Amino acid sequence: MTAFVVAAIAMLIVMVPAGLTIVRGTEADAVVGYQFITAVAVMILALLAEGFKRPSLFELPVLLAVLMYGSGLVYVRALERWL
Amino acid sequence: MIRNVVIDVLLGLATATVAAAALGVAVMPDAYARLHYVTPAAIVAPVFVTLAIFVKEGLDVNTGETIVALFFMIVAAPFLSHATIRAMRVRDHGDWRQPRTREQRAKEPR
Repeated sequence: MTAFVVAAIAMLIVMVPAGLTIVRGTEADAVVGYQFITAVAVMILALLAEGFKRPSLFELPVLLAVLMYGSGLVYVRALERWL
Repeated sequence: MIRNVVIDVLLGLATATVAAAALGVAVMPDAYARLHYVTPAAIVAPVFVTLAIFVKEGLDVNTGETIVALFFMIVAAPFLSHATIRAMRVRDHGDWRQPRTREQRAKEPR
């Protein structure tokens, strides 16, 4: 198990407090927790791709980083108008 | 050998940054305060991860794709934080602007 995989597992564990915030907090707290988890997920995907030596998997963090912006704005707009 | 130590240190810094940010997100009293702790996880930690991959792989395709992801995160995070704060203020106060004080209203032309 390489250092990259260990770091990815540690970051997965660190997601738990943000997940609890999403479950137990208000709608605004949930949006903040969602943004946090998405940002960490980008790093986890990059770390796992490097840790398992799969160059093709490096496209996933790029896609998620782009989608993070769009989906974040969608949630924010929903929070502002409808939730 | 030294390269592995540098990689371990960079990954440790990234993990510590994310852990501290997660603690802030969990502990802070409201969403306004929590949002401040998303930024280290969205900007600082990805820089450490990208540097660790760069040290491991050198300047190749994998590093390039990680840099692209890092670029999108660094560009998107401030816009997203601003939009989130704005939405929360609209939700809480009906308008994102600061309400005018009595003195400011008195100075306005009638």
